[in-house]
Amino acid sequence: MSNRYVYAGLCGLAAALACSPSRSHEIVGNRMFPATLTIDDPGVADELSLPTVAFYKTGDDPSAKQLDISGEYSKRITEDFAVSFSPTWTHLYAPGGPNGVGASGFQNIETTFKYRVFKNEEHEFVASVGLNIEWGGSGAQDVGADGFTTYTPTVYFGKGFGDLPASMNWARPFALTGQVGYAIPSSSATVTIDPDTGDVDTEFNPRVLVWGASLQYSLPYLKSAVADVGLPDFVNHLIPLVEASFETPVSNTSTSGTLTTGTINPGVIYVGKEFQIGVEAMIPINRQSGTNVGVIGQIHFFLDDIFPNSLGRPLFGNSIASGRANP
Amino acid sequence: MKRLCKVAVALAAFLAPVAAQAHAMLDHSSPRVGSTVASAPKELLLWFTEKLEPAFSTAEVRNAQGTVVSGKAQADRSDGTELHVPLKALPPGTYSVTWRVLSVDTHRTQGSFTFSVGP
Repeated sequence: MSNRYVYAGLCGLAAALACSPSRSHEIVGNRMFPATLTIDDPGVADELSLPTVAFYKTGDDPSAKQLDISGEYSKRITEDFAVSFSPTWTHLYAPGGPNGVGASGFQNIETTFKYRVFKNEEHEFVASVGLNIEWGGSGAQDVGADGFTTYTPTVYFGKGFGDLPASMNWARPFALTGQVGYAIPSSSATVTIDPDTGDVDTEFNPRVLVWGASLQYSLPYLKSAVADVGLPDFVNHLIPLVEASFETPVSNTSTSGTLTTGTINPGVIYVGKEFQIGVEAMIPINRQSGTNVGVIGQIHFFLDDIFPNSLGRPLFGNSIASGRANP
Repeated sequence: MKRLCKVAVALAAFLAPVAAQAHAMLDHSSPRVGSTVASAPKELLLWFTEKLEPAFSTAEVRNAQGTVVSGKAQADRSDGTELHVPLKALPPGTYSVTWRVLSVDTHRTQGSFTFSVGP
């Protein structure tokens, strides 16, 4: 991760991972967990996020504007197991990049293997485990792509509050999702030699706790499961939410420090029949996480709805698909 | 970047007209979800967002004691998205509805809600 520290800093790392497009949507009983923009949702599905666009200012000194455009394709192998691929293209505006004049290129390609281990429809609870692999050397170092591979085993969960008593009907559309991962670089340190002075610089690549959560209020859920109060149809498709995505270096931190970086992202998702569109502000939690409020937007397609008899089915099993109960 | 944007637009344009079917989700009902009606309805009507497979689509209504107070759900003859659920005479109270349907593209969905009868 040292290259990323050299060229983009801790905030760039946090922002880049926050914008990585490994998202999906999940349906558990009455509850549809939408594909969140900055953390992954708790389930597996056949889907396509294209594009996800994020624009923000890094926490470097001096700070630089950064544009990320990414996509993700997720394919179920079985009903509970999926594999996703996600490339990200980055443009750093001056004074970003290794020479201070800006840079463009792809980040390392990421692959995520994800298995849903538990699902309780009555209590709208789902949990999955996964392994994210960022393939070192597959991206451009000028935009901060690491030369080494990083493995991030991750636990995901989602809980809807539809099982609250009737006296708390107002709270039943709420849902909480979260993830906790541990990023393990394949190389403990990156050594660079200054070509002019011959000085040797060693950057230790820390192991990083990658964690985040989202709090959602589903108006589709409100209409179809709690109270149809006659809101306009457009409003009945909205899910206001707040996402939070953080990274905390926890070991091998001699050169990185242990400062937690990340963003808190309020926003809204419009959920249609076969797609969703989301937009969020990206509020850095400290100077090292960014110097301005950024923005992230995403168009996301539910391939299991668009191609229910071909591309949207698991490769093995599942003759009849289960699905969500509210739009 | 321009190339990526073009690909995204082309893909969106390609996918949009294909999107003819999806999960059958509850669009609205009569009585409305969560509502209180002054007089007992004779049937519950459910409208979904997609056409249903009638043989695999059901709904039932239970009173506060958990007793089933509905008959067999029937698909509407002219509207493939609509289910009719006959009801027994309902005294004032709160009733829970549970539905399970299969859309014509074989997606199974389920859901529940309540409505009340009374002043």
